[in-house]
Amino acid sequence: MCCSAQLTEKDLAPEAMNPAYLDAIKGMRFFDPHIHMTSRTTDDYQAMADAGVAAIIEPAFWLGQPRTGVDTFRDYYSSLVGWERFRSSQFGIKHYCTIGLNSKEANNEKLSEQVMEILPLFIYKEGVVGIGEIGFDDQTALEEKYYRAQLQLAKDAGLPVQIHTPHRDKKQGTQRSMDIAVEMGLDPYMVIVDHNNEETVKEVLDRGFWAAFTIYPFTKMGNERMVEIVKQYGTERIMVNSAADWGISDPLAVPKTAALMLERGISRADVELVTYRNAITAFAQSGQINEADFERVQEIDQSLKYNGSTILRGGQQPRPNKQSTIIR
Amino acid sequence: MGYVYDEQTTAALLRQIISRHTTERGAQWLEDRLTEWQQQQALSVFNMAFAAAPRFLGREPVAATLAEQAALPVHLEGYTADRLFRIWWLLQLPVNDKKKYIEIIENLFHAAEMNELVALYGALPLLAFPEAWRLRTAEGIRSNIGNVLEAIMLHNPYPASNLDQPAWNQLVLKAFFTEKPVHLIVGLDRRANPELARILLDYSHERRAASRPVHPMLWRLVGPFLEETGFEDIERLWLSEYNVEREAAALACHASGYGPARELLEKRPELKAEIEAGQLTWETVAHRVNMAN
Repeated sequence: MCCSAQLTEKDLAPEAMNPAYLDAIKGMRFFDPHIHMTSRTTDDYQAMADAGVAAIIEPAFWLGQPRTGVDTFRDYYSSLVGWERFRSSQFGIKHYCTIGLNSKEANNEKLSEQVMEILPLFIYKEGVVGIGEIGFDDQTALEEKYYRAQLQLAKDAGLPVQIHTPHRDKKQGTQRSMDIAVEMGLDPYMVIVDHNNEETVKEVLDRGFWAAFTIYPFTKMGNERMVEIVKQYGTERIMVNSAADWGISDPLAVPKTAALMLERGISRADVELVTYRNAITAFAQSGQINEADFERVQEIDQSLKYNGSTILRGGQQPRPNKQSTIIR
Repeated sequence: MGYVYDEQTTAALLRQIISRHTTERGAQWLEDRLTEWQQQQALSVFNMAFAAAPRFLGREPVAATLAEQAALPVHLEGYTADRLFRIWWLLQLPVNDKKKYIEIIENLFHAAEMNELVALYGALPLLAFPEAWRLRTAEGIRSNIGNVLEAIMLHNPYPASNLDQPAWNQLVLKAFFTEKPVHLIVGLDRRANPELARILLDYSHERRAASRPVHPMLWRLVGPFLEETGFEDIERLWLSEYNVEREAAALACHASGYGPARELLEKRPELKAEIEAGQLTWETVAHRVNMAN
């Protein structure tokens, strides 16, 4: 979430329409491996498709307030593989997800036990590319207990793990997450450590894990800092995501960062690695990502059009003219 | 009495088609799961195989021969290997305990992702105890997911044979609202009824008031129940600038027993002749609507 930073008048003024960055990345495709579409609008989906986002991963997370029963967890997981996946396909974006019990809610032991019981029902489902996002928030004993239990689940199922690293006491939390994963016998190459910054990246890469960076205004990384990270550390096992959710965040963070990288002299091949290819390489270890599907979801959209432009069938969303006062 | 058809023949036929579309690894996986299930009868084995099928069998399209299709109670058009496996796998459930059988399948529905829902709803004609799935089907019709709706609505004989009239009418209305190819609904003419005709007529008035097009197939379900009220609309359609709408008007008059409608049809003997020769049908109208692009 945002709002710890100082806001200025400039921050509060409406943004000018400036899609200039779209020209710089024309024809490129992007993969956002961390975004919570459940909390976003259809406008976001359309803007993402326009900016070249071909596929996304939606990790299971905390919905902003604690759930009180196992059924709401079940319905949430089920919506990630159901309704949200369909909604995404209507905009030509291939939707994957990771399934897990988030660290905040792991502190409710009674509920966590019930959630752990239903997780196996979901992790084998089609398009589930990992266990996530799991890890530490307050770094309590209960968080550790369920983090370990889920690492075991991932190991048994041969699935990648998407680790959320904490906001508070970040460096130690990140180290501890990696220590436990190694201790439990997970291959670091199967583990994506998320929300890195300048302080955590070196150790994560040195130990053979994947390092994901979240471009999120005010509280996580800005994309100018991201450019410097790539200049310093290169592109191996590095990926960028938006983690856009119900807070002040930006679902176009990945394409915008790509544009900025190009502008600041990083090669197109390197930009492609950190904004597309690396995330696919990491999560395709689940056996659940087929790049041909990215195009298929777009083709379906087009072919579902029927009876001229006035009638659309099932799959496709018509575009209203947003600049017009008239709504038809 | 669980099944209302010869499920063993069907299961054997489905297995035969599956085996034509699996790799060696997939075939081994299937064989192992079947053995495991038959020996242990553990629900976790059953559920996991149902969920994990695409990981081992893939999602490539499958095809039945004409002879196979003719002998099957489900239409396999658009089926993929995983979906075919799933409907066959459902036939591996024992039906001696009705309550348990229903509970197991309902639980699959509860935790289903999109493709699993498609497989489950498409399998309705294959399930034992057909009377047990009426509410489930009505619930499925409330879905907003396009391909889930299609699995229930299109090429599926279950709804026409089992739904009560209000649920049936909802299915047809939802098909119009979500712009599905209505002519692919099984039992469309057989289940036509005056109440549905009235609702569709009202719907056409709403569309007209909003200057939105009315699907010509709607008149197929209005025609047999034409009276004074609906006849005005048919007269208007009769003068439409679109060929396909004039054809729909002629077909609706032909299906009607209402005097003025029969007289109207006489005014275009060439259309009447085409209808009687079977050259102009609702199928040709449907085809034209789909091709109008």
